[in-house]
Amino acid sequence: MSLFGAERIGCPEVLASLVFIIEDAIDQVDRPDEVRNHINFCPHCAQQLEHERLTHSFLVDALRRSCTEKAPESLYESIHNQLTAAQANTEVVTTFSMTEISIEIDEFGNVEHREIQIEQTHIQHINFDDGLPGSKI
Amino acid sequence: MTSKDLVLESAADRTIRFERDALVFMDQLYAAALRYTKNPEDARDLVQDTYMKAFTSFHQFEEGTNLRAWLYRVLTTTFINSYRKKQRQPMIANNELEDWQIDQAQSHTSDLGKSAEVEALENLPDSDIKNALQELPEEFRMAVYLADVEGFSYKEIAEIIGIPAGTVMSRLHRGRKLLREKLADYARELGYTTEGKAAKRSDAAEEEKS
Repeated sequence: MSLFGAERIGCPEVLASLVFIIEDAIDQVDRPDEVRNHINFCPHCAQQLEHERLTHSFLVDALRRSCTEKAPESLYESIHNQLTAAQANTEVVTTFSMTEISIEIDEFGNVEHREIQIEQTHIQHINFDDGLPGSKI
Repeated sequence: MTSKDLVLESAADRTIRFERDALVFMDQLYAAALRYTKNPEDARDLVQDTYMKAFTSFHQFEEGTNLRAWLYRVLTTTFINSYRKKQRQPMIANNELEDWQIDQAQSHTSDLGKSAEVEALENLPDSDIKNALQELPEEFRMAVYLADVEGFSYKEIAEIIGIPAGTVMSRLHRGRKLLREKLADYARELGYTTEGKAAKRSDAAEEEKS
């Protein structure tokens, strides 16, 4: 193809880009503008693109109508049960930390400074079936 | 006490939110798992493992981003890490990028002929289509399935499988080409023939019409 600048990029290179055009990813190829331009002026490549698009859409239809299996009904149940069990094993560890500071100054101006560190740890096992922890029921 | 209640409630709420948002994709994930593992028992286990893994790392999932794509990523990673080893799949060569662009230059069209190919795609039984897909090497099968059945973009597929976008394009190209060739073989067995020579079946159909 040598008409109207179509010679700047060859048919083989354009045909190699068709998958990018179909995937709407033309910007991923080296020279997207030249590819577009080539297709506008090269009937062979334009026709090939049309065919690829059409065949791809039929391929997609064929695959989608064939791959429609539903999960077995018992699967939902077993996933739910396993999630519940995992939730039941969840430990919530809450650590409270508090520092009590007291400063005393007596009548002679002596300063007494005291710090007491208090730490408390709560470990709670959440059992999902017992209702929501923290709820009032 | 207030802060403690808050922590407890969010852990429970997380499970509720997970079940509500993630389990709606179970059928889709199962169909994908069937394509990956090729058998119902492994597919079932893979989906269950996927949900448990997704649940334990649900806190890493950013709300508002694509949960479906994230679940497919967990599914795919779980499959690659655990199930593939078990299945001893033949892997395609690492140099898969080689020559694929040159290869595209020779047109995609199988020797079945253009119109016969489209006609075959419309009429081939579901079982043939599934078998042809099963026969593809795993890497191609995954890419084609995620793009053409699930409708993920090449960028999403790159994330899901954990490969560069360029590799996705190469696998899509080669996978589709191979799939079309396999489907053409099935079509030929069913009596579709090359363009130019009228297909036996369509001839018969024409006769019935007239």
